Amino acid sequence: MEDIDAMFSDLLGEMDLLTQSLEQGTVPSEPLPTIKKELNFSIGFTDLNESLHELEDNDLDALMADLVADLNATEEKLAAEIQGLDKPSLPPPDLPAKGPGALPAPSGSSPSPRNSTGSSTVTPPPASATSPLPPPPPQTTKPTKEEMEAQAKADKIKLALEKLKEAKVKKLVVKVLMNDGSSKTLMVDERQTVREVLDNLFEKTHCDCNVDWSLCETNHELQLERTFEDHENLVEPLLAWTRDSENKVLFQERKAKFEVFKNPQNFYLWKKDKKTLKDMKDKDKEILIKENFSGTSIIVPDLEGVLYLKEDSKKSWKQRLFQLRASGIYYVPKGKTKSSRDLVCFVQFDNVNVYFGKDVRNRYKAPTDFCFVLKHPQIQKESQYIKYLCCDDAWTLNLWMTGIRIAKYGALLYENFKTAEKKAASSSSWTNRSTPSSSSSSTPSPTIKAKAPSQANGHAPKLQPGPVPQDFGDLPPPPLDDFLPPPPPDPALPPQPPSLLSKPAAPQRHPPDSFPLPPLGLDSLPPPPPPPPLSDSESPPDFLPPPPPNAGFGSLPPPPAPVDSLPPPPPPAAFKGVSQSLPPPPPDPHFLPPPPPDPVFTGAGAPPPPPPPPPPAPAAATPRAAGRPAGSVKKMPPAPPKRTTPTLQGGGGGGGGDFMSELMLAMRKRTDQ
Amino acid sequence: MAVWDLSVTVEDLGSDAPPVTISVTSDLHVGGVIVKLVEKTQIKRDWSDHALWWDQKQRWLLRTAWTLEKYGIHADARLVFIPQHKPLKLGLPNGITVRLRACFSNPVFQTVMGICRMLNIRHPEELSLLRPVEEKKKKKDKDLTKEIYDLTEVPLSSVSRPCLYNGMPAHFADSEKMEVIYKMLSVTQPPPAPEVITKQYRPASVVDKAHINGRWLDSSRSLMQQGIQENDRLWLRFKYYSFYDLDPKYDMVRLTQIYEQARWAILLEDIDCTEEEMMLFGALQYHISKVSQSEPQNLSSNAAMDDLDSALQCLEVKMEGESSSATDLLINVVVCFRPKRLTLKGYKQYWFKFQDTSISYFKSKEESIGEPIQQINLKGCEVAPDVNMAAQKFLIRLLIPAPEGMNEVYLRCENEQQYAQWMAGCRLASKGKSLADSSFQSEIQSIRSFLAMQKTNSGSSAAASDESINTHSLVSPRYHKKYKPKQLTPRILDAYQNVAQLSLTDALMRFLQIWQALPDFGLSYVVVRFKGSRKDEVLGIAPNRLIRIDLGVGDVVKTWRYNNMKQWNVNWDIRQVAIEFEGNVNIAFSCVTADCKIVHEFIGGYIFMSTRSREKSDTLNEELFHKLTGGHEAL
Repeated sequence: MEDIDAMFSDLLGEMDLLTQSLEQGTVPSEPLPTIKKELNFSIGFTDLNESLHELEDNDLDALMADLVADLNATEEKLAAEIQGLDKPSLPPPDLPAKGPGALPAPSGSSPSPRNSTGSSTVTPPPASATSPLPPPPPQTTKPTKEEMEAQAKADKIKLALEKLKEAKVKKLVVKVLMNDGSSKTLMVDERQTVREVLDNLFEKTHCDCNVDWSLCETNHELQLERTFEDHENLVEPLLAWTRDSENKVLFQERKAKFEVFKNPQNFYLWKKDKKTLKDMKDKDKEILIKENFSGTSIIVPDLEGVLYLKEDSKKSWKQRLFQLRASGIYYVPKGKTKSSRDLVCFVQFDNVNVYFGKDVRNRYKAPTDFCFVLKHPQIQKESQYIKYLCCDDAWTLNLWMTGIRIAKYGALLYENFKTAEKKAASSSSWTNRSTPSSSSSSTPSPTIKAKAPSQANGHAPKLQPGPVPQDFGDLPPPPLDDFLPPPPPDPALPPQPPSLLSKPAAPQRHPPDSFPLPPLGLDSLPPPPPPPPLSDSESPPDFLPPPPPNAGFGSLPPPPAPVDSLPPPPPPAAFKGVSQSLPPPPPDPHFLPPPPPDPVFTGAGAPPPPPPPPPPAPAAATPRAAGRPAGSVKKMPPAPPKRTTPTLQGGGGGGGGDFMSELMLAMRKRTDQ
Repeated sequence: MAVWDLSVTVEDLGSDAPPVTISVTSDLHVGGVIVKLVEKTQIKRDWSDHALWWDQKQRWLLRTAWTLEKYGIHADARLVFIPQHKPLKLGLPNGITVRLRACFSNPVFQTVMGICRMLNIRHPEELSLLRPVEEKKKKKDKDLTKEIYDLTEVPLSSVSRPCLYNGMPAHFADSEKMEVIYKMLSVTQPPPAPEVITKQYRPASVVDKAHINGRWLDSSRSLMQQGIQENDRLWLRFKYYSFYDLDPKYDMVRLTQIYEQARWAILLEDIDCTEEEMMLFGALQYHISKVSQSEPQNLSSNAAMDDLDSALQCLEVKMEGESSSATDLLINVVVCFRPKRLTLKGYKQYWFKFQDTSISYFKSKEESIGEPIQQINLKGCEVAPDVNMAAQKFLIRLLIPAPEGMNEVYLRCENEQQYAQWMAGCRLASKGKSLADSSFQSEIQSIRSFLAMQKTNSGSSAAASDESINTHSLVSPRYHKKYKPKQLTPRILDAYQNVAQLSLTDALMRFLQIWQALPDFGLSYVVVRFKGSRKDEVLGIAPNRLIRIDLGVGDVVKTWRYNNMKQWNVNWDIRQVAIEFEGNVNIAFSCVTADCKIVHEFIGGYIFMSTRSREKSDTLNEELFHKLTGGHEAL
């Protein structure tokens, strides 16, 4: 156990180092503190130490796997970004000279889709910017110095942006209570939705994945409970909890969550008699759902009834006639009619969530047990700004709480339900397939996705001859000053990447990648054991020195050949896959110090490029592939050092501000064009 | 066979000209009559649009292969030879009148199809024609001076083959005059002057609202058969509140006209809403009128370019966010504030700094390098204005959520300029956006224009320049009485902050969504008498259901859904509608404020609307419509 603890803190230390270095790049002061804070902040524990002690062994394993996965994912992303950058940066200089405007376009189009998808989840916008620019692939072997510089700068900028983004991502260690009283501990980052966390928990628990599974939060102090909606981000509401709170996150089946889609008549035709509702035909239910959720406007059930309202700061309850409308809850003032114009607005839903209130009879002398509560999510303690309403029975309570959710979330609820249904349908095969071990490795579903694509890419990358050529040109000769001109990396590399020519280059550069992605390990490369990867990540810098492109060239077989030999997937296909998955772009990127990457790339690319004038078509293909290749390469080298990278970055980071402005300039130019 | 004389009045010869007499036999078909007639007049022109109208029987003789005998025409028949298309003055949902040539011989359903084709409105089945409400005599004089847009020159043949040119049907691209008309159709009208709203007829009760539905024309019969004359005035309105496949890309005219109809329904309290909803509608109207004036329609904007632009913009914003100059934009502004609890102490001056989504304050400028007295994160907070231009009071009220509840904080700004900046900053921060967000400047602009409104409103009430709109133009007369424009402004501004960033079409769609989410949306009322009941009640006809409203209580007492309906019949002899629902539920009623054909058509029409689906949406199933709505006459 202690060993595990030690490992764990090591791991955290690594992450801190990494993140710190990242921060240095651009945001000097701020990010660092935040990150640390976040890392240390765990939900459901009083402090991090406690949380670690409480972890069961297997949980710890899982958590570690998560962390590793995170690191990998980050690296991959960075690598992807960098590759993306290469292309874009080139264009400006290239265009004038080479004028193959046509070529870039196609490549550009492909990247853009990536970006869009990516941005939503992981990838930063910068990627998109870069994509449009795809430079003409077929370059002369030797890039002009200008080009190289531009490239380098673009790389740095990309990297800096990525770092920024990454540095700002908040992560929480969350303890989730299971039905049986046990608990699971997860690492959740702020980009993850509740849906993703649920999927993640499905894998860990092997439950039946039905649509009712939900995450709920309980507020101990206020005795409130709420089911998170699947589209919500989990981290945000958890951050509103006070440090010492005894709030909990529960993983439970909640029938009420999607009841409205299973029996819409109970909500939309609630005035009808029970028997009619019970005997409702499926066809009529479908019609109801279509009417209320598929039109231009979402229709809120028309609820109206007498509820008990807790008077401000008193333990007395007053009856009022309330009405639910899409725009909020209203009540009929004394002596007025129910006509819309006389209604008084009680609350609108923009800034409040609806909770179930427990124990209200004792706590507030409520007339019934069926109480719902409206409050701003940030309010965690007794306050006059919390509104309590009591219904006569459980059914009415359900009507109101569901009605309010429909008014507040609208079409999102229906989307959530459809997604959950799909998940439930495909769950059986899913659960069977994923072994515990595999699942653990990829704990956070988001990460998983990222990885999966990246892996796929991994193969593809090699193929990506296209990118290589470009890189090649840039890289070969003048490795940017900034970068380490890694002199004799080759020697070191050779041993590792014996099998594939292309690989060698890659390995050097991407060592970082390799660790994270044991699976990626190319055929030839002996995949390093997972643990080592971490250490590797740090060391990579040493290897980084990209081997001279030329050398790579010579050794490398003609591009096409490599491709064939290359593992499996055809690059383009893989590429597409990647692009879709993009969000979690190629893992490698992060670590690579921006500058070095280029060299490496070249190295990697070199193999294919050998033919100095690559055919345009390949070039087009390459851009896409570029991201991957890097990834693949990385995999090869077993143990490169992430740490080193960080340092490198730090160096690069110094110029961060300049890069930013440069990037802006570049962007402007483009837009002008 | 016996030859006899048939006299036909040819309208084109002039009203005084005697009827033309031709010799015919009873087995001559109508086509032959027309040929003889044309020869006899000896006028060379295009007669193809002309047809025979049988005056006594009020029917068209459109089947040219039918013989006179088959039609039952004898020598005493008074026939008129007239064009089938005649000019009509058509009031559009936006209140503007166009003059166009409509078909007087086909069923109104087809006439509307033709009109919609000319105006470029898809899904004509949702619209119909109704007789206008008589206007008060005073207004009539004014109406004559009102501009009428003339579309009678549009050749009918070009309309039948719609092709787009510059984003509009080719017949609108012919001349500048026509383009102006298209603009009128596809761009929303500016808010009406408050007096215009006040003067219009407003229904005061459900029964009032029911009366309008007695005016719908019969879709199965022609205009001529319903006594409509050349150059008569009719209204074109959306009749069925079931808007199918509304797509701003193809539906600019349709969308605009639906919006106009909805806007007037709200301004005239045709449909009830709450005060909060009214303010939001007002804010959207303000925004829509502002955007439609400033935003030339770029219908052809390239989606891919948009993506790229937004990506670039996003990147730039990101980077700006990192550069210190943008982040600290508001760093050097001094404001005062007080926490509410210290009410008595009034305001105290501090040095304030706005950074990202937080404000921090310091004792003085000199100390602003060190630790602030307090830093307040505005994310998720509520921001409300408290402004009085005349008193030069510029207060920002912040309700900031904290674990313990909401903290109330007031920021007092020194002047308009400062207020606009800080208000904009607070608004963005409450949504989690920093000052570097691209919307910051536009937010400032909109706040300033609202301030400008307050200024002018205190003076004359009718001023409606571009910059300032009288807020009374945006709400129903009920609120004219309740609030002065000055009081309305902050309330509308409050609602406005949630919609200020919407594009024109998004704003239009949002308006329609909120309208459609109102509980009474889509209800058309008819006063009826249920079988076995001795008092009048109101039947509400909605897209998916019928409701029964007790006039005494004013409440919905019963709801029937169409999908439970087994059949409905009309007994034309006793003018009674009978409907059978599943579960042996039978209802029957006679109609008081509208003909039972109108009710029959409403029900059948909504059932027809629900049969539309994406696969077959291309062609309108006219036959089915008539089957469902025609009653005995169609068969």
